[in-house]
Amino acid sequence: MTSKIKKLVDEAKDSDNPELDLVDKGIVNILEIPGLPTLTNLNKLVLAHNKIASVPPSIANFLNLETLTLFNNHIEELPTTLSSMPKLRILNVGMNRLNSLPRGFGACPVLEVLDITYNNLSENSLPANFFCLDTLRALYMGDNDFEHLPPEIGRLKNLQILVLRDNELVDVPKELGELTRLRELHIQGNRLTVLPPELGGLDLVGSKQVFKAGGNPWVTPIAEQFQIGASHVFDYIKSDTYKFLYGRHISAGAAPPPKNTDKSKKISRSQKK
Amino acid sequence: MATASSRRRNLFSLQPLDAKTQSPLFQRRRVAQEEDMGNAPQVLSLNGKPSANMSLGHAVCERCHDGFSMDEQIVNSNGQVWHTQCFVCAQCFQPFPEGRFFEFEGRKYCEHDFCVLFAPSCGKCGEFISGRVIKAMNSSWHPECFRCFSCAKVLADEGFVKNQGRALCRDCNASEKAKGLGKYVCFKCHSIIDGGHLKWKGEAFHPYHFNCHSCGIELKEDAREKDAELYCLRCHDKMGIPICGACRRPIEERVVHAMGKTWHVEHFVCAKCEKPFLGTRHYEKKGLAYCEIHYHQLFGNICFVCNNIISGDVFSAFNKAWCSAHFACSICDHKMNQKTKFFEFDQKPVCKNCYDKFPSELKKRLKKAYDEAVKAGK
Repeated sequence: MTSKIKKLVDEAKDSDNPELDLVDKGIVNILEIPGLPTLTNLNKLVLAHNKIASVPPSIANFLNLETLTLFNNHIEELPTTLSSMPKLRILNVGMNRLNSLPRGFGACPVLEVLDITYNNLSENSLPANFFCLDTLRALYMGDNDFEHLPPEIGRLKNLQILVLRDNELVDVPKELGELTRLRELHIQGNRLTVLPPELGGLDLVGSKQVFKAGGNPWVTPIAEQFQIGASHVFDYIKSDTYKFLYGRHISAGAAPPPKNTDKSKKISRSQKK
Repeated sequence: MATASSRRRNLFSLQPLDAKTQSPLFQRRRVAQEEDMGNAPQVLSLNGKPSANMSLGHAVCERCHDGFSMDEQIVNSNGQVWHTQCFVCAQCFQPFPEGRFFEFEGRKYCEHDFCVLFAPSCGKCGEFISGRVIKAMNSSWHPECFRCFSCAKVLADEGFVKNQGRALCRDCNASEKAKGLGKYVCFKCHSIIDGGHLKWKGEAFHPYHFNCHSCGIELKEDAREKDAELYCLRCHDKMGIPICGACRRPIEERVVHAMGKTWHVEHFVCAKCEKPFLGTRHYEKKGLAYCEIHYHQLFGNICFVCNNIISGDVFSAFNKAWCSAHFACSICDHKMNQKTKFFEFDQKPVCKNCYDKFPSELKKRLKKAYDEAVKAGK
């Protein structure tokens, strides 16, 4: 196996297109990939479907790296050096065992697509500067443990895609309505009962837009609008009738619906062997 | 010879000159002022005495060259003699009122006809000028008629300044200059234009000096010129002048033809960023024009991976687009083509290989969501 990897590394070194594809090679430790540090011009590194447990801080030595895919590994922690990578545009660390993102992660200068799907992350595990990532255009956070989305989400002005599928969300902040460029919003499979009226201004009902909101315990008036169609939901939550109902609902302070999904079988829950 | 002169007076009493010159008939007959009053006409007083030398045979009438009969009255002037009936104005053939005549090029005229034929007339009052003539501003004037256009002060002795075709005293010229600073002076009436002016043939005018060439209405400052004629805005707009599709006003300079309409160059803009195309390529969508960047941004031809405009073939799936080089599995990055089968995961393409590696609990959930979506679709 190692010799095969070495061959791939050598091929990448000779090519004009410095990409390295090491998908499903049973790699456990990035540092054990022979010759990897010599690929200084590396543009893309794909390490999906391996058994990598940690990412070394030296990953940041790849100054030209634009795309890093670590999907489906055993990573529990990322190095703080990630935020110093000057060209990193696409980072996919989905399907790992992350319990937090590294301190200062929000300083990534040009990050456009961040995929942290299927981990053990929540609002408490985000670094303080996370919402400084205003270059983000797609944020995939499905299959995590968010109960509340921080209102600072409104600072991600370039966000076009936001996925919060299958989390524990009991509410979404009204600041979500400030993301005027949003054209995909996935909030299905949460514990949401109401939506802030401010979301009524989002343009998510055209043929080029995606709005997924199923699998939530919506209050009856909203559920009824979903029955007719998603466009009716947005018209409805803009109405004065709904604003009144929403205000009353919030001030009543009803207890959030209980967790109804058992996540113990998620592979991200696996412990170090 | 008192009798002779008194008799003539009785016989030929002419209308006084002043009264006649008021008549419009006379104004028309007036001749341009080619004759300066400088070579003043000789006013001759007649010596009506019959001369002994001229009494008979030898003397002939200066006009008809006939002799005189014995008892005939003879007019003698400057050593020349006439029959009484021959000593008349060369123009009107009437005797000279009060014996006064004016001589020019050997002919004698009554004062009235002389003025009509040769005397200058005043640029202001239209009367003939005898005595001092002021020549100024391409006209002749009585000294008391040549006055400041503004304050009417007599200018004959103090001099004047020419200002926009008007004669002004020095004081008025200075104040006009100060007042008119930054304002136009009407080329026709020479007064300052306080409101909006109308530019025509390079000069500024009060708009009310003109009427619309088409409907005849008095013009306002918004009048427009076409083919050297002036038109009111209404008529001008009806004459096939292109109208800008954005501002709805006529286009007088460069016209952009696009989207079946005409536009001011600076009004043909991207529907998103509102910057003018200025000749660069535009993209049309649902009756709106977009610049390249915003067309692709809005209508999806920006590659999801490289975030650039796709110039070649476009792969489209899940409301996204990819360059052909970047269309790949979102997990393992293996290239895909039209024939590759892939799964949807958060609206991203996932190849079968990667999908198969998903934990079974996730696959179960995805399958369930898919089935529900299909059911809802039906």
